[in-house]
Amino acid sequence: MTKIIEPNKQSNIFKRPSSETGIWSWITTVDHKRIGIMYGYAAFFFLLIGGLEALILRIQLSQPDNNFLTAAEYNAMFTMHGTTMIFLAIMPISAAFFNYLLPLQIGARDVAFPRLNALSFWIFIFGGAFLYSTFIFGTAGAPEGGYLAEEVGWLGSAPNGGWFGYQPNAGMKYSPGTAMDYWAIGLQILGIASLISAFNFITTIINMRTKGMRFMRMPVFTWMTFAVSFLLAFSLPIIAIALFYVTFDRKFGTTFFLTEGGGDPVLWQHLFWLFGHPEVYILILPAFGIVSEVLPTFARKPLFGYAAIVFAGFGIAFIGFGVWAHHMFASAISPVAQAGFGLSTMVIAVPTGVKIFNWLGTIWGGKIKLNTPMLFSLGFIGMFVIGGLSGVTHSVVPADTQQTDTYYIVAHFHYVLFGGALFGIFSGLYYWFPKVWGKMYNETLGKIHFWLMLIGFNLTFGPMHWLGLQGQVRRTWVYAEETNLQFWNIIVTIGAFIIAVSIIVFMINWIFSKRNGEKAPFDPWDARTIEWTIPSPTPVWNFSKAPEVKSLDDFWHAKYEEDEEGRAVRKESADQMLLDLEEEGLNPTENIVLPNPSYFPIVLAAGLPFLGYAVIYKSIPLALVGALLLLIGGFGWGTEPLEEEVEENLEHE
Amino acid sequence: MSSSHSYPHEPTGVETRKLGMWVFLSTEILFFGTLITTFMIFKGRDFPGIKLTDVYDIPFTSISSFILLMSSLTMVLAHNALEANDQEKTRVWLLATAMLGSVFLAGQIYEFTEFYHKGFELTTNIFSSTFYVLTGFHGLHVFIGVVLLLALWGIGQRQRGLNLEGGMNLEFVALYWHFVDIVWIVLFTVVYLI
Amino acid sequence: MSENHIEHPTPKRYVQIAIVLGILTAIEIALYYTEDIVGVFTDPILIILAVGKFIIVVGWFMHLRFENKMVNRFFAGGMILALFLFAIVMIERASANFF
Repeated sequence: MTKIIEPNKQSNIFKRPSSETGIWSWITTVDHKRIGIMYGYAAFFFLLIGGLEALILRIQLSQPDNNFLTAAEYNAMFTMHGTTMIFLAIMPISAAFFNYLLPLQIGARDVAFPRLNALSFWIFIFGGAFLYSTFIFGTAGAPEGGYLAEEVGWLGSAPNGGWFGYQPNAGMKYSPGTAMDYWAIGLQILGIASLISAFNFITTIINMRTKGMRFMRMPVFTWMTFAVSFLLAFSLPIIAIALFYVTFDRKFGTTFFLTEGGGDPVLWQHLFWLFGHPEVYILILPAFGIVSEVLPTFARKPLFGYAAIVFAGFGIAFIGFGVWAHHMFASAISPVAQAGFGLSTMVIAVPTGVKIFNWLGTIWGGKIKLNTPMLFSLGFIGMFVIGGLSGVTHSVVPADTQQTDTYYIVAHFHYVLFGGALFGIFSGLYYWFPKVWGKMYNETLGKIHFWLMLIGFNLTFGPMHWLGLQGQVRRTWVYAEETNLQFWNIIVTIGAFIIAVSIIVFMINWIFSKRNGEKAPFDPWDARTIEWTIPSPTPVWNFSKAPEVKSLDDFWHAKYEEDEEGRAVRKESADQMLLDLEEEGLNPTENIVLPNPSYFPIVLAAGLPFLGYAVIYKSIPLALVGALLLLIGGFGWGTEPLEEEVEENLEHE
Repeated sequence: MSSSHSYPHEPTGVETRKLGMWVFLSTEILFFGTLITTFMIFKGRDFPGIKLTDVYDIPFTSISSFILLMSSLTMVLAHNALEANDQEKTRVWLLATAMLGSVFLAGQIYEFTEFYHKGFELTTNIFSSTFYVLTGFHGLHVFIGVVLLLALWGIGQRQRGLNLEGGMNLEFVALYWHFVDIVWIVLFTVVYLI
Repeated sequence: MSENHIEHPTPKRYVQIAIVLGILTAIEIALYYTEDIVGVFTDPILIILAVGKFIIVVGWFMHLRFENKMVNRFFAGGMILALFLFAIVMIERASANFF
């Protein structure tokens, strides 16, 4: 008895993709799990590249007056390191979690728009490839009075105006060549990808929840996905328009951000940080969500103050829109604005503090099991608190003007984005490893990874605090020997290499465990949320039948009951229930209709880089190629139904 | 989403695609908001050279604004006809909407060329730059809308006709079209009248 | 989902709404020519008229009046956020040279 309805392959103008394994099945897939896995691998690839760039930077800075890199190459490396880590590593790796887990956590069969989901993935891939093609096609000239043209090697032929692209430095006059165009248009393309996925996730969470999954029963990770999607949806349009202006300034001779033509460089800073600050929360909130799932599971206690965590998350998201100008205290903004944004920056520490105390309340008195995901989550709390506290010091305007553009700032945001976001992400990677692959990772290697990373991380970014307060300036490729900054810079470089080693340990663990790891038990962590009520690895159809949720932490309540003293006691029937669930999950009894794979997302996405090249090189043929691909993709998409009509297929059976 | 499987969806009662479109339109506010903000900031400053007030033609733009406004009426009438399942009328109103949209676009192209001839070019000054990017971005939206309307009209030629469900349905396009119209309501006031 | 469609107006009502919109537009254009008489009130009145037209189209033609509250809040939320953020940017940019 076949359960999954086969697509009717000849029903359309174009032949539908039909392979179920091999490369074509991955290229044409619209399955949220496969898309999530692809997001994860692609993002990890870019994480390695971004890490490599960081190591190159650290080699240069390990000695005073070093000449490992030229100034031009150094500029390109720090710009690409920041851009890569933010847009190509952390954001997509969060998207990987959203994709894989969101439908499972709300009990859905897929996201609301599966093909749009594939589209945003492919746009991300093409956007990343487009940005990195700058190393092949891009040129970065020498600005007047700047470094010499011969210093720009191939390594320097990348965007070099910083990830924030401050104007007029990133304008044509000071950043000649095409490299900064690659940056502006590359971010534009990546923005489209994120924007589409944001629509998709918002709609999915509102409209695809299963029976009984009320808003206040959703897992915190789902809530944080919701908050992040809002932030993306409302902040990306602002940067998109600002990048339009940059492209017009650079390619078509307008002067939006150039004072010589009546433009306003501070306006760029406003528009950039109007996006850029919510972006910080876009990077950190997914980690908040992951940690809020991991801590209660391994402390064996319910999350302390579920509602408080949810509302604090949205409080952060909302206030996060009102603090952007604290990045601009050293710019020409009015003192009234400085005071106002200083205050709002202090205020945003409050909901963040609420969350920290909720997590501490969760592990307080719990039966803590210290395995790898838990270690990373605890590490996250510690490191994030350090980063958060140094963040509050920036809200004091006079202090901030001293700290601006020093390594103190670099230390601060690496504590929140590496010690925060990335630790949370690793916690999630280990936690859901059994779910995705059906195997267990190696606990010893996992712990080695954690301790190496914790030590390496603190060696790298801890000393940066005092380097910054001693006055080492960021984005500068050398420091003089007389400044006595050498000792801590060497320590920092050593720390960076320890992080690199820890990442290698992680990769070995991942590859080895995925191949030869032990088979994961049905419910390896004694978990609380409904993604663990289905077999691992997740079947293509997710849930055999729509689950019904009766409470928050529904799976836990199915397994445990309270005894007279209010302690959780495992029900006698729990083990049998797990066996039944596994049996049921693998053998669906009703017809399952899955969205069909499609060629058109990738075709449509492939048009965008061509349009990007067309703008950079002002080439009509390239624009036509891009438009043609968009047209074919759009037409094919429009004429192809998402799912085959069920009635027709039943006749075939 | 017409499949008959038992999987539950739409606990809110709003059709998923329509909801997605509303989310998209909410973010479009931020797109146009950024553009209008820039326009307002630069409008209040001194800039050399020719100004919009030297070249524009209020009666002409008023008429094309009125045409775009009326295309919203034809759009809602198409929607209404489809709810009554009158395929013939739906197609007529759809085509009328697309035509009105095209007339507006033609008017904008004519206006831009006139401005260029009078020396009000993209790089003339900061004001002209913001003007062209703002109104051009809106024009691009109208263009996409016309393409969608014509595609819908083409789909309507098929045997089965149009319906209010499934892929690219009329309600979906209608929401987009009305949004393009309300943006112009704001732009007409902000750019031309104030 | 029939509950969304019960209250929709008739074509006649739509035409009436369009006439109102047309009249408001005519007033706007008239105001432009009478700016010397109306004076400082011109711009506020123009803005009020534009907001009025905006609300009429969104409410009736886009059926937001008859839509789920969730949709309403979402759209209004985007609107308020945009107004709030951009008002700050505009005021800051306009005042940066005075304080």
